[in-house]
Amino acid sequence: MAAREPSRYLTRALPRAFAPSARSQAFLGRRNVSDEAPVRRLSDLETESSLMTAVSEDAAKSFDPIARSKSRKTQLPRSRLTNPKFQLPIPFPEVQSRSSSPSPTASPSDPSSRLFVPGPFALPRAEQTYNSTIASDILTLCYVHTPPGFTPPPKAPRLREWDDSSPYHKNRPLRGPRGGDVLRLIRKPIKFNNIPKIERITIHSYVKQAAQDNSAWLHVAGMAVQAISNVRVETYKSKASVATWSIAPGRDTVAVKAELQGETMYHFLGKLIDVVLPRIKDWPGVKGSSGDSSGNITFGLEPENVAMFPEIEINYDMYPPKMIPGCHITLHTTAKADKDARLLLSAMGVPFYGKIIH
Amino acid sequence: MATGTNGARRIASLLRPSRLDFGVCRSCQETVGRRNYATAATESTSASTSPSTSSVNPVYTINAGVVLSRPPQITRDLEPFEKAYYFYQKRLNERLALPFTKYFYFKRGTPLDEDWKRKVKERLTPARDIGKYNAYANDAWNDELLLGAQESEPEHLVEKLVQDAESTANATSQDTSKKEEIPRPHSRVTEADKKGDYKSLNRLLSRTLYLLVQSKEGYWKFPSSPVEAEETIRQAAERTLAQSAGVNMNTWMVGFHPAGHHVYNNRKPHIDEATGVANYGEKTFFLKSRIMAGQADLSNSLQKLQDFKWVSKDEISQFVTQKYYSSIKNMLADR
Repeated sequence: MAAREPSRYLTRALPRAFAPSARSQAFLGRRNVSDEAPVRRLSDLETESSLMTAVSEDAAKSFDPIARSKSRKTQLPRSRLTNPKFQLPIPFPEVQSRSSSPSPTASPSDPSSRLFVPGPFALPRAEQTYNSTIASDILTLCYVHTPPGFTPPPKAPRLREWDDSSPYHKNRPLRGPRGGDVLRLIRKPIKFNNIPKIERITIHSYVKQAAQDNSAWLHVAGMAVQAISNVRVETYKSKASVATWSIAPGRDTVAVKAELQGETMYHFLGKLIDVVLPRIKDWPGVKGSSGDSSGNITFGLEPENVAMFPEIEINYDMYPPKMIPGCHITLHTTAKADKDARLLLSAMGVPFYGKIIH
Repeated sequence: MATGTNGARRIASLLRPSRLDFGVCRSCQETVGRRNYATAATESTSASTSPSTSSVNPVYTINAGVVLSRPPQITRDLEPFEKAYYFYQKRLNERLALPFTKYFYFKRGTPLDEDWKRKVKERLTPARDIGKYNAYANDAWNDELLLGAQESEPEHLVEKLVQDAESTANATSQDTSKKEEIPRPHSRVTEADKKGDYKSLNRLLSRTLYLLVQSKEGYWKFPSSPVEAEETIRQAAERTLAQSAGVNMNTWMVGFHPAGHHVYNNRKPHIDEATGVANYGEKTFFLKSRIMAGQADLSNSLQKLQDFKWVSKDEISQFVTQKYYSSIKNMLADR
């Protein structure tokens, strides 16, 4: 029956092909996902899973790994990779030198490597909200309709050529754009594959007293930023000379910075938006003119606002009260323009105020 | 069956005279008669001399539809593999991370410190959510959960955290007569879930719910109505929503563009007796909308709708026709 079906449809479709049609017809070369029978796609997957294997009740109850290992008279043989008796046929120095201590040569994704970082530990709520709700809404909001057959008018080149009015123009590098030599990022139309999303968050704190007073300020700032961000901070020396604060470039370590990505970033963003920002008194929001015109938005938090993070609140007494730092938080997005970045962040729950500058 | 029909269509389309233009996508070629400036100019000059074979554009009713949705309110349920994976990573972290710096968090000799010591003695680890496990002992290799263990379940985790907070509150409070109670989080399964109340917005908190209405003929569909003259599609969608499901809803229209469309072809074209225009069916363009507050109310509905339902993407296919579902399914969120 199934084999005869295509011919049945063909006999119906053939007369239709020669009937006069109101619309111009083109070759139909499209294949839909729905065309493929689900059986064919799922056949690649394993039907059996070790998790699904039935284990008898008493076998599961009697299994005690600790007791088993204690009842063992002799040690188990070492792993093939570390045992000198079993040499691998081809010399793999990296693999063979592996031992139980953290190895500096193993790849960072290997738990025996020093660079290995465990995680993720959870699926952050902010990330789930982005994926389930915000991304598709941004795609709908940013859709720009162009009629069929539309080709956008050609744009002037981003770098200007010399007009060859002088013989010295030959082989000169191209000129930058008019009105400043900053080349702005190209903003492409937002499609399904370039929906703006948050890439990373930077928490930066400049502590001027670290140079004037003593380094305790920097230590406390580092601890506070580390506590709220869950990543190790890096310290930075001043690049600029500030005579009034007696800061010399390259001499004084005055700043700490933490860079958040992935799961940590979404946890921080969730805390910031749902716990800290709503509790700031008389806070108008992030200034509408903030941003570096390539999709990264920065705002600052006062020391009393930083103290509102739950990680600091829980043992507030342990921080010297005057030394809790303020900080600058930069939300780096994959948007190419501030307008798109603001659309994303306001959907995530960051309020903006004042004149919005795109 | 779908494979068979499409294969036949593809063969049939090969037999047709092809007027393929690679600058235009296939669906646009089908719907829009191709007219660029050059052909328009030649047509206008030739029209006076010889009557050209002009193509007839079939007349369809244009409808504006509204996909009104309530976004997920809570996180999704984790798969068993995800639970096991996250739990494994937590214990791995306990083995690899630096030891917990206790004296930064607990001052020596305080009631909190005493409470802390008691708890760590009990569970052998500073972490509250990995069960009883000592990451620095000789048998730290035994970090896998045994069959039937509850430690990786989120409910178990929440219960442990709440109990921990309660015991801290009880151990450190001055008043020993009163027992502290920490409120548990609300259940992920609501009353509406248990009753199967399709009219409630509290059902399926971790999924997106969509508003379906039943027309007077008995078909389930998204609210829609014909676009009137001098009206944009967005205005038409807003009017449709107010006329079909009432004004007792705080909604937000997502943008000005439709997110999907559905074409319904009449079996035979309906000929309008007054004008003689043949109507081939209707084309519905759906705009996305989000509900913030309120509830649908059909009592003042101008479209004589019978009923409404809030359903998730998986449930929609039970109520609507197969053709309708295949044209709307790609604009609905997976979760």
